[in-house]
Amino acid sequence: MLSTKFSPMSKEEVDRKWWEIGDFFRRNSLWMLMYCTGCCAIELPPAMTSAYDMERLGMGPMATPRQADVLLVTGYLSLKTLRRLIYTYEQMSEPKYIVGFGSCTINGGIYHDSHAVINQLNKYVPVDVFVAGCMPNTEAVMNGFVDLMDLIKNKKANGWKDYHERYDWYLANQKAALGEVRVHDEFHE
Amino acid sequence: MIDILLMILTGIGVAFFGFVLQTSIAGVNRKVVARVQKRYGPKWYQEFLDIFKLLSKRSVTHGWIFDFGVIMALGVIIGTAMFMPLTSSFMAFDGYDNFFIFVYLIAVGMLGMAMSASGSGNPLASIGVMRALTTMLAYEVPFMIVVLTIIKLTGTSSLSEIGLFQQVAGNSWFLIALPIGGIVAVMALMGMLGKKPFETYIAPAEIASGPMVEYGGKQLGMLFIMHEITVFIEVSLFVHLFLGGAENIVLFIVKYFVVYTILNIISSVYGRFKIDQVVLFFYKWPLIMAITQAFIAIYLGWVI
Amino acid sequence: MTVEFLILVALASGILAYFVGRLNKVLGAVVTIVASMFIFIMIGYMMQDINAGTTFNYNAVEYMPDFVTFMVTYLGLFFAILVTFIFAMVSFFNPFFVEKYKYPALYSMLYLFSLAGVLGVFLTDNFMVLFFFFEFIVWSGLFLIPLGKNNKAAISYYAFSTAGSFALLYAIFIMFAETGSYNLHLGLATVSGTTEGTYVLALLAFAAFAKLGAFPLNVWLPRALGKAPDPITAVFSGGLEKLGAFVAVLALVKLAPVGDIAGTLGGLTEATFLFASQYIVATLGAMTIIFGTLMAIRQDDAKKLLAYSSMSNGGYILVALSLGGTLGLSGGLYHIVAHALASAAAFLAIGAVSRVTGTTKMSELGGMIHKMPVTYMVYLIAIISMAGIPPMGGFISKWLIFQAVIDNGLILIAVAVFFGSIGSFLYVFRPLAALFLGQELPQHRDKAKEAPFFMLLPMLILSGLIVFTGVMPNIFLDFINDVIAELGGTGLLLGDYTITGVNGVLQPTLIASVFGVGVLIAFIIFILLKKSKKVGLMDTYTAGNFIYTEELMHYSLDFYAPLERLYEKHINITKDFYKKLENKVVDFGRMVKYFFFTNKPEITVFWIIILIGFLLWGEL
Repeated sequence: MLSTKFSPMSKEEVDRKWWEIGDFFRRNSLWMLMYCTGCCAIELPPAMTSAYDMERLGMGPMATPRQADVLLVTGYLSLKTLRRLIYTYEQMSEPKYIVGFGSCTINGGIYHDSHAVINQLNKYVPVDVFVAGCMPNTEAVMNGFVDLMDLIKNKKANGWKDYHERYDWYLANQKAALGEVRVHDEFHE
Repeated sequence: MIDILLMILTGIGVAFFGFVLQTSIAGVNRKVVARVQKRYGPKWYQEFLDIFKLLSKRSVTHGWIFDFGVIMALGVIIGTAMFMPLTSSFMAFDGYDNFFIFVYLIAVGMLGMAMSASGSGNPLASIGVMRALTTMLAYEVPFMIVVLTIIKLTGTSSLSEIGLFQQVAGNSWFLIALPIGGIVAVMALMGMLGKKPFETYIAPAEIASGPMVEYGGKQLGMLFIMHEITVFIEVSLFVHLFLGGAENIVLFIVKYFVVYTILNIISSVYGRFKIDQVVLFFYKWPLIMAITQAFIAIYLGWVI
Repeated sequence: MTVEFLILVALASGILAYFVGRLNKVLGAVVTIVASMFIFIMIGYMMQDINAGTTFNYNAVEYMPDFVTFMVTYLGLFFAILVTFIFAMVSFFNPFFVEKYKYPALYSMLYLFSLAGVLGVFLTDNFMVLFFFFEFIVWSGLFLIPLGKNNKAAISYYAFSTAGSFALLYAIFIMFAETGSYNLHLGLATVSGTTEGTYVLALLAFAAFAKLGAFPLNVWLPRALGKAPDPITAVFSGGLEKLGAFVAVLALVKLAPVGDIAGTLGGLTEATFLFASQYIVATLGAMTIIFGTLMAIRQDDAKKLLAYSSMSNGGYILVALSLGGTLGLSGGLYHIVAHALASAAAFLAIGAVSRVTGTTKMSELGGMIHKMPVTYMVYLIAIISMAGIPPMGGFISKWLIFQAVIDNGLILIAVAVFFGSIGSFLYVFRPLAALFLGQELPQHRDKAKEAPFFMLLPMLILSGLIVFTGVMPNIFLDFINDVIAELGGTGLLLGDYTITGVNGVLQPTLIASVFGVGVLIAFIIFILLKKSKKVGLMDTYTAGNFIYTEELMHYSLDFYAPLERLYEKHINITKDFYKKLENKVVDFGRMVKYFFFTNKPEITVFWIIILIGFLLWGEL
């Protein structure tokens, strides 16, 4: 027989419940910030428009990092753009996720031996989902988004927490590659 | 005392109803627009998901004015919605549903949002505010002239009484009675709601969503709620002024839905005006039409 | 307590302030505070036992009885209490500003002299006294404005004011010729409705336009207000401009309107019932509104912007007064109160900023809110009222004026009135965004600090009153009803908390409380949610670029550039007109000089022949 006695939940439990409710909303309403530097970006228009229509998953493009939940890194990143990517990522409001597109973000892809391009994105910022392929086709992209939703549901999309916890490690990698993350304003100073 | 408390509670109920109604209808309309574009579209309750997600996120703030402006914007808009009559006989504060209160209280909401946006220190936000205010200068004058005609004809500026005036046998809806003015009002309403081609002040690809550029998390969520209630007020204004008000709540919802959906469908096939084009557009035909309509209706007495 | 005593107090304390000011600049300015506060309190005391029609005779000149008389009327008291209040509030700024000016002692003296002038103008029933004190204010203003280091502005002010004064004088002469007495009420009553009444109306309207800075006599206003010392600007906008409104009330309300009923144009069936003179003044008022709004939108100097906004608000007062009727009159009079409070508060806030930064140019300022939050709130409340938004006083008056316009069915004037009302959001927001909000510029970051308590005090009192006039307007409208009754009209229908207009009932208290409930709900929502992370102002969205220069991230120059582009070719119409007029006058002067004051022999011979011919004319 179930007890009808009211048992107060501890603070952690209450927080966890709220977090689960929040996760439901967050995974059904992913707003993207597209960092379209590489060729994989071409896969996004069919994903957004009538062919695959990602709006039915509740996803949509957003204009600024403040509003967005998920940062799409579509392809290779040169050192100059990596700085901007880190800056943009740090401006996003938490919880925030990153999806890396194409083999360039995984191991450098066809640019693996270039001096100007980084090879492994998740050394510099925490990536939650990688979509492999060169380029990944649109089904794979959509699949990647669904995977991200599952990860959020299972509380495994914790890249942003990892970035806080291991910030020193990320910062060391960033410094090793870039020298200095925040450069001077080369146009105006 | 209990009376006033009850009235205020009813008012809060009206505002909440407006929020739920508009948010649901906005969700449905996202589906409608998706169908226009041969897509499937999101769930009908997607707008709720978006808003609650935003409220659940951890946002950033740029100082007290950034927060204060948001609170002021949302608070005033809730206050404005509390005055809105739902049907021609049901409203929270009987007899005080003056047209000018709505027009000017919405402006306070805009001011709060503009203040907060400028307080973020982002130049794109200031540009967006500039465009929003300029658009307001454009659409408001023709709209007010049409409303002037209506107030002069009915002799009252109370929304519910204007609604009742149209329901009397022999009087037709002002959309039909004042056909030229009705067209002006539709155009002005599109400007008010920031629908294309008048969404110059949002312009995501151009000025990164304008005033909203620095918002994320709860501030953006509150501004979304504010936006939904503002839309509720503006569309309801149109329903009461031009579509004969509503005898009962079902009729109100039907009229509301039809107006909002038609506007959305019109908007979904347009591009975007530049800001000076918006001003020139409104000060050309709509203004001339509004003045013509006012002359015809007030001086010549030609009302269908 | 008699009027002449108060005037003497003002004059005497002015002279005292001068001598004290010679010894110690600040102490001289403190005298202005004490004296103007005393006079305001005395006037307020006078309101307690006002008995309309009480005349205080003061026979200074024995052989001309009733030559110098003073009379306390509701109308005069209404203006006097408002303007002396503005003077009293602004005087708190004097000690902080007086050191900046070249002749601080003179400044303190003239400040009190203009106050004396104000009392004389409003509290008399004698035209000569009115004219004397009118000129007295012009004269004090002439020396006060150039203390802000610009003589040209003062000359411009003097030229237009003198033109207005002459118009007033001619009107007085016409009435004197008719009645043989300088009594104001008798004179106006006698000429009202006659042919002379037409001239008097036109001349008085001219004087009112010149004083209010209404179109087309608007050139001096932005120049003088933009360049005058900061406290003087507030006094001018909040107080001395209202002299024009006072003359306008005399001209438009006390005189019967002239001309045919304009509404019967072309035999239209349901037409307006305005007279031609009313319609002309209303049209000029409407043009003032549009012109002031458009010019205010494109100013870079915050003081000039507010000066143009004063002009536009003067247009509202003219429109309302010319429409007449219960709504028009009470709307116009209430607008005088609302605008006086709001513009004084706004100018004082800008003055407080200019004191610490040394500039009022919006393109050189930014982010003042972080150092001066109270000043910011004062400015915010002032502009909300100026834009006519509830729950501030400006809304009540605009609501009444709108109804008057709609009730008369004036479509084209309504376009101007609505345009000015929406346009005022644009221009009042600009100093808010560019000067107070936005990036905090490094050049002012260290210098700027909140104004001292004695500067905040008058600003806060004004803000409180602005809110109060919006929440509980009935106290003020009651008094305005008395004024209207004295002018021979019917007052507004007032309930305990409600105002009944022609087409609707307003309950300002309810609006304010609902406003409060809404903000409370929003605040609860805000506070319940997760706390935000504080970031700096420079940490904003820059599309990933690293920018460290505040000026680049501050949008303040040419704020409404796309809108300005649409009309910037046509802005100089009045200025060009006066420039041309000036050239014509100069040409005429040259011609006169050429013909009369030359030492060329042929011209002299020519004149001698003409003169001889003229003298011999009768003989031959």
